[in-house]
Amino acid sequence: MSSRWGVPLLGAALLGAVPWIGDETMMQFGIYLLLVAALAQAWNILGGFTGYASFGNSTFYGLGVYGTAIAMAQFDLPFWVGLVLGAILAMLCALLIGLPILRLRGPYFAIATLGLNAALSALVANLDIAGRNIGLILPLTRHDVLFYEGLLALLLAATLAVAWISSSRFGMGLIAIREDEDAAAVMGVDTTLYKIAALVLSSLFSALAGGIYAYYVTFIDPASAFDPKLNVQMVIMAVFGGPGTVLGPVVGAFILYSIYQALASSISTAAALFYGVVIILAVIFMPKGLVDLGWGLRRMGPRYLLETVRQYRL
Amino acid sequence: MSAEPAASLLEARGLTRRFQGLIAVNDVSFSLRSGEILGLIGPNGAGKTTLVSLISGTLLPDAGALVFDGRRIERLAPFRRAHLGIGRTFQVMKPFPGLSVLENVTVGALFGKDGGERNRARARERARAMLDLTGLAPRLAQRADALGGPDRKRLELAKALAMQPKLLLLDEVMAGLNPVEVDEVVALIKKIREGGVSILVIEHVIKAIRSLSDRVLVLHHGQKIAEGEPASVFRDPRVVEAYLGKRRA
Repeated sequence: MSSRWGVPLLGAALLGAVPWIGDETMMQFGIYLLLVAALAQAWNILGGFTGYASFGNSTFYGLGVYGTAIAMAQFDLPFWVGLVLGAILAMLCALLIGLPILRLRGPYFAIATLGLNAALSALVANLDIAGRNIGLILPLTRHDVLFYEGLLALLLAATLAVAWISSSRFGMGLIAIREDEDAAAVMGVDTTLYKIAALVLSSLFSALAGGIYAYYVTFIDPASAFDPKLNVQMVIMAVFGGPGTVLGPVVGAFILYSIYQALASSISTAAALFYGVVIILAVIFMPKGLVDLGWGLRRMGPRYLLETVRQYRL
Repeated sequence: MSAEPAASLLEARGLTRRFQGLIAVNDVSFSLRSGEILGLIGPNGAGKTTLVSLISGTLLPDAGALVFDGRRIERLAPFRRAHLGIGRTFQVMKPFPGLSVLENVTVGALFGKDGGERNRARARERARAMLDLTGLAPRLAQRADALGGPDRKRLELAKALAMQPKLLLLDEVMAGLNPVEVDEVVALIKKIREGGVSILVIEHVIKAIRSLSDRVLVLHHGQKIAEGEPASVFRDPRVVEAYLGKRRA
């Protein structure tokens, strides 16, 4: 136990120290990195464990963004009230939407969630209270350390939740749904309840991330709050690292976002292209993610790559 | 809802299921007694698997009633029926492909009857016992999708057994097995029944059905054409005709 968690704990401690040892650039980089890592981990709860690839997690993120923004900009409420409001809004949305759309499987579910995101974006752009399509401006603060540590705490909380899931009966039920939903149901898994619980939990962490980030960026609008590209990032990072694993999505987010930033600062025009190539190679040679790759290489060496390519008939 | 006699664990009355124009199961009534092994036979397309799906809840009937252990169950969700104590195997096997053999069976122990064993360590214990029983213990660390056909059949059985069902629905667990393996599975099913489990078994291996079943139910074109002791059912001219055609009969 102690050796298994030693490295992650050391990593968390080091990350926590960044505001005191790093510079301004590193902080900006760190805040966005922690944001996408927390979002990738939140996506993992539903996408990684139940296999339902959600493209609607940016919706929950967006609701978290708007919950905080409306509370602070329109009603002068404190930040934490906005954060809670956003989370409640997102969880209610997950609950209401979950029942009909979790009946859809595979690509149909993905498309429905993408549609949900577009619908909410359009809805918000027409609400006076949400500043229509102009957006809202939040009170300015310069507490970057707090934003950084807040997002780190959120990432830790999401990771602890996933660690609990992966060792619990609940998590085994989610995994059974991913592997074969009909067989899971016949074996006694209340599939509807489990899927909705996973979606609501996923929406909670996504909304909290959105709420913190909204206060940090201070200006929000529908296009940035309900950005499908953000959702694509969550999916790629979680899948690259290892969907359905505890640390995979975090590792995936750290590696991919670092590569992307390094490329963007040196060869900006080609960055997007290289990023795409990394993802294509990853999907071909390690469709089950980095965590599985590390495990496979240790067990059978380079033969692992050939085995996975053959197994997934690529 | 009147109380059912204790002797009958499952009772079907007028079960009917249509698929568009086709009536897969047509007004079928039968009862399965507590502690009994009931053989379910019939030519291909007779509606055997559909009937099992109606009992396990994978499909809902268009008409008719199902009483299990004194409760109406025909509209219940599959997971609720599993909690009541109905376990099934799938003819087209449904392993959890990416999980190990042990994890596959642990799911049955963690859920299953009465919602299963909540403690994961104890559930794993139970799963191991089922792997010993079905002869899969040497393969417990393998991924389910790496198993060969006969072992997949055994896995289906082990998963259903780990649910500790009162009623076990076995959909062709012997298909593709060699005669020695068939004898092993027949012995295993008898042993399971001795543990107090009632069993409905679909099988094409007539020899196995004869030696296993207390009674046999025969379906043809979705309708029940015979029900009774194996010896008399296999002499029934309608059954012979269904299997061999009119001319031969």
